[in-house]
This record gives sequence, C-alpha cells and structure tokens, in this order.
Amino acid sequence: MIRKASAVWRSSNAAAQTGCSLDRHIRPTTPVVPGIAEIGASVGALIREGRPLHDVLSGLCRFFDASLKGCFSSVLLLDRAGARVQNAVGSGLPAGYMKQLVGRRVKWIETPIGAKTSKTPVIVLDQVSDSVELSPILSLTGEPLGIFAVHWRDGSAEAARWYSALIPQFTHAAAATIERLRSDETLRRSAAVLERTQRLSSTCCFSWRVATDEISWSKELCELFELDGEDVPMTLEPIGVRVHPEDLPSFDEMIEQARRGVSEIEFECRLLLPDNSIKYLRVVAHQSGDQPGQLEYIAVVQDVTHRRQTEEALAKLRAELVRTARVTSLGVLTAAIAHEVNQPLAGIVTNASTCRRMLAVDPPDVEGARETARRTIRDAERASEVIRRLRALFYKKGATCESLDLNEAAREVIALSLSELERNKVTVRTDLAGELPPVLGDRVQLQQVILNLFLNASDAMSGVDDRPRQLVIRTERDEADRLRLSVRDTGVGFEPREVDRLFDEFYTTKSDGMGIGLSVSRSIIESHKGRLWATPNDGPGATFSFSIPCASQDATSTSRTVGRHMKSRWL
Amino acid sequence: MVTRPLVSVVDDDESVRESLPDLLREFGYSVRAFSSAEEFLRSDCVGETRCLILDIAMPGMTGPDLQHELRVRGPAIPIIFITALADETVCSRVLEQGAVECLFKPFSETALFEALNAAFRVT
Repeated sequence: MIRKASAVWRSSNAAAQTGCSLDRHIRPTTPVVPGIAEIGASVGALIREGRPLHDVLSGLCRFFDASLKGCFSSVLLLDRAGARVQNAVGSGLPAGYMKQLVGRRVKWIETPIGAKTSKTPVIVLDQVSDSVELSPILSLTGEPLGIFAVHWRDGSAEAARWYSALIPQFTHAAAATIERLRSDETLRRSAAVLERTQRLSSTCCFSWRVATDEISWSKELCELFELDGEDVPMTLEPIGVRVHPEDLPSFDEMIEQARRGVSEIEFECRLLLPDNSIKYLRVVAHQSGDQPGQLEYIAVVQDVTHRRQTEEALAKLRAELVRTARVTSLGVLTAAIAHEVNQPLAGIVTNASTCRRMLAVDPPDVEGARETARRTIRDAERASEVIRRLRALFYKKGATCESLDLNEAAREVIALSLSELERNKVTVRTDLAGELPPVLGDRVQLQQVILNLFLNASDAMSGVDDRPRQLVIRTERDEADRLRLSVRDTGVGFEPREVDRLFDEFYTTKSDGMGIGLSVSRSIIESHKGRLWATPNDGPGATFSFSIPCASQDATSTSRTVGRHMKSRWL
Repeated sequence: MVTRPLVSVVDDDESVRESLPDLLREFGYSVRAFSSAEEFLRSDCVGETRCLILDIAMPGMTGPDLQHELRVRGPAIPIIFITALADETVCSRVLEQGAVECLFKPFSETALFEALNAAFRVT
C-alpha cells in the first residue's frame, strides 16, 4: 500500500499550512520532465561507482533542480523513528541553511483526506519558511525514511503540474536509493565487523564443499597460512603443504572424517611456515547442507600459537618449580639426615677412641674394650639403617610407577623427618590402618607429598605455645575403595575463604615459603588419579588429606594415567 | 685421694651419653651424664661441674638456652658445645656468648682433648 502524503512547513507563528501552495506568485517555466527510467539510470550510475549515499542523493537533487527550473530540492534523511532530521542533502541550497535543519524534530500527523478517513501522515517542522513543499520518502513497507523538500524561488502553474508529476518519481527513486545504499552499508559494516572480529579473536573462517573440494576462505586465512593470491581458488593441496609433517596424519584423518560426513569436527594442528616458524591452529568445523553431493563445512580457524607457547612456557616453569621444591625440601631433609648420621658416627669415633685407650693400658681393660666395641658396632648399624632408608627414598631406579604399600612409604617419611619434627617440638602420632591393599604410583613422588604435608604441619605449629604441637598421620580405606592419607595438625589453621587459594602456586602464608609445595603436591596427586584437599579442624589446626585409587581396582588404567600428563597434547 | 674434676655431659642422644663418659674417664675426669638441660639444672652437679659438654639441639631447653641460664645464675662454667648439625651460625653465636669450643659430631679424640685443655686453662 502506498500512502499518499502531503507535507507542511509550519511557520514559527504556528500558522499551519496544509496541501499544495504552488499557485502563488507563479511564473511560467518550461520544465523538462524526466521519466523514471532516466532518474534510475542517473542514480544507478552513481551507485555503481560506489558513491556514498550523500553523493547519490545530492545527484538526485541536482537532477530534480535541472528538471524543474526555479526550485531547489533537498533530501532530509530521518532517524529510525522518523522523528528527527539526521542529515540534509541538497546541492543548490546554502550549506549553513542545510546544516541548521539537522536535528530538527519531525511530527507525523494523521489527517483525513476528503471524505475518506484513511490515515495520512503530515510532516510538521518547526521552521520559518513560506515556500517549501515537503513530500515524505517512504520505504516499501511504508516506514518514513526521509523528506523530499522543494524550495520554490518562483514557479508557474505549469511548473506546479510538473511538480505533481515529478514528485512521486523522485521520492520513489530517493526511497530506493536510501534503502539500497543503507543495506549495502549494513552489509559493508557487518563485513567490517566480521573482519575486525576475526582479527581481534585471531580467527578466520572458510567453507569447504567436500564433493568438489571448493574452498572459499577469508583474506585473513590466506595471511594466516602465508599463502599468496586470495582470488586464486583454494584447494586442499596448498593447505596440506603448510601442515607440520608430524601433524599430517591427524590432518589426513580429519579430511577422512569430513568425507565420511561427521557433523562436528574439532582438531588442532601445527603449521610449518617457509621461515621454519611454527603456528598452532585450532579448527572447529560444522557440517551444513546434508543433500547428497552437497556436503559442506563451515569452519572457524583460530590461531592459538600464543596460547600454546604460553602453555609450553608454563609447563617448563612448572617443571622447574617441581625441581626447586624438591631441592628445597631436600635441603631441609639433608640437615635432618646429617643429624641422623652424625649422631651414631660421634658414638663410633668416641667408642673406638675409648677402646684403644682401654687396650693400651697395662693390664688392658679387655672387658671395657669389649663393651665399647659392642657399642661401636651398634652405632655403625644405626648409621647404616639411616642410609638404607635414604636409599629407599631417593635412589629408586627403573619404572616410576609401581605397586607400593602406602603405610610403608609413610613410615619411611616419618622415620626420616622425626628429628626435624622433634626439633620443632612436634609430637607425632601414627594411626595407620592395617592390611591396606597396595596402590600404584611413583614412590618418591608420593613420599614427596607426605613429607611436604609433614613440613607444612610442622611450620603451621611453629608459633603455637599454648597447646601441644601434635601431628597425627592416619591412613584408611574409604567407601570408594580408595586409600586416604591424612595429616592433622594443631597449628594456626586457615580461614575458610583461603581454602580455594591454598593450592595455588605462589600462595603462601609463610614468610620464608615459596608457595609451591601444596600446588606441586596437588599436581602429583592428580597425576595419580587422586585428590588432595584441606579441611579446617573443629578445634585448632587443619587436616590435609589425599586419596588415591587402590591398585587392585583398575591397575592398568591408573598406570597409564600417571604417565599421560607428560605426553604431547597433540593428536 | 686426689679429687678428679667433674665434667658433665648433657645430650639427648643415648649413644653419646654412653660413649663419651667412658672416654672422659680414660682422660682422667669424673663424669656425669644427663639427657636434658632441665635434668642437669635439677641435679646437684651444677656447682661442682668444672666443664660442661653440651649438645646444641635438644627437645625442650636447648644448649644455648642452658648457656644463657647458667650465665644468669652466676659463675660461668666453661662450655664445650657439641652438635650433629654443622650450623656455623649457631656455632659462632655460642662462641660469642663465651663458649670455649664448638665441636661438630663426629669429633676426634684429639679435638676433644684440646677443647678440654682449653676449658681447664680458662678455669
């Protein structure tokens, strides 16, 4: 439905004028009336040249002005609601005058026309002028797009007739132009948004018609693959050349999957570029078009190089931290070992000295010498026992994954750290469950965790003076057939809000701590398919526990899991 | 009868308490051994002791604690510290506080002998 519209330029004294007022002060003119085809050709040429809306409308106005002598036309572009002038275009009118129209309010008044009660919009502008005719420019659906305003310098009755004939054609042409260029603009803008989005998120898109291997892809993807010629039809071949040789099998497998018609494909691969640099890509493809022979994938390619490199650097750093953490606790342990070994050595040296003196006197004190010799042997055995435990703890050879007795592992750690704990005036109570099934794991790593929990508990109690510093180590088998080891202390404990951060790297409450012990411990336990957690005690202190599956439960899968976290993440 | 000077040994480690007194007796001293600083302080030997052989790290009152306590109480007893933890910092601190010597376990018969001689020169 095309609504007829008449426009009124309302003066500041609010004298509303309706309808056509062309019959005033009209002088004869000889207008040249262009047909709609001519208007279309003229405007179309400007559009094809890629001129912006302003230029095209300006051209349209020039065309109108040339067609009807004695008048100057302009197009007032309206906002989306049709309530305000957004832009004013017109070549024959002063720029300053056009400028002051911008921002003016526009009212649409419904008025009856003749006997009919059909609604007709009337445009009202608060502006002084007495010789302006306004015609609404409406979209196909009847939405107001703008106003075609014609200023009369002078005019004749004939000109008025021509005006009536011309105006529908020009408003129609203006409407078509505005709609066309606005949708072009929308397209351009969404293409620009897409391009910018692709750049911001380091993603590119492509589509792939499987049957014909037609690939259409974005300029950004060409740049990503460092391939020339975005206009050249892309095929799988040049893409394959860029794929890292080690990742070719998985790339081929992906192609195979696509040919089979898998609906969603997700994979990662590396590119080996001509300068030998490596890019990491992540591809997510979604199948569209399910007709036979119409199989097509729309895919997003994301450059995850930076992320992967960060992850690799992080993994390296973590490994370094694990090593540092070992060295740190080894340092503490070395002091404990020195103490443990030096005590019996002192006994040995002293006894041997005494023995020699007893034998050197006349008559020799054979009985005394025999006693000191006995004590020498006993102390030497004590020293060798310390060494034996050490060897059990640190010089494990062969597989890192073995079936082991958690109680025995715990006892060894207790024996080695006892003197360190005693020095901190910590008493140790052991509560180890009998007849526990073996667990599968790395003995040294698990003992590292237990030692860490011990040293943490000891540190947590170092400032405690108003209650016994007691550490309780307990092992038990839980309902889920897992073994649980817990270390309970009577130390300073932790705030409930801290619980999430306790296991974070570099989070520490100690002045001399690095904050990596618990984080490393947790990663060790998790690599054993287990869990490490902390709970505040009802009374003072905290309990740190871990649980890991029994070996009997699923020995093989656990064994695989332990080693898996070190493997490459690539398919 | 000549009274042998009393050397007291305070160490929580049993093998030291067993072996050291025998050697000291061979050297010609009379010896008493105690397993803790508190036990020594409770005994009637404090006044009699001419030289104290004292372990540094002990549960409860430590060697340096006892050194401090004795200095507060009155006439200084020469002290030879013995320690299984080769900690130079602690060692130099106790020497600053007036200890005669600080021996790292295991120490030789000669080192002990010289330390004792030094201790008795002080007296």
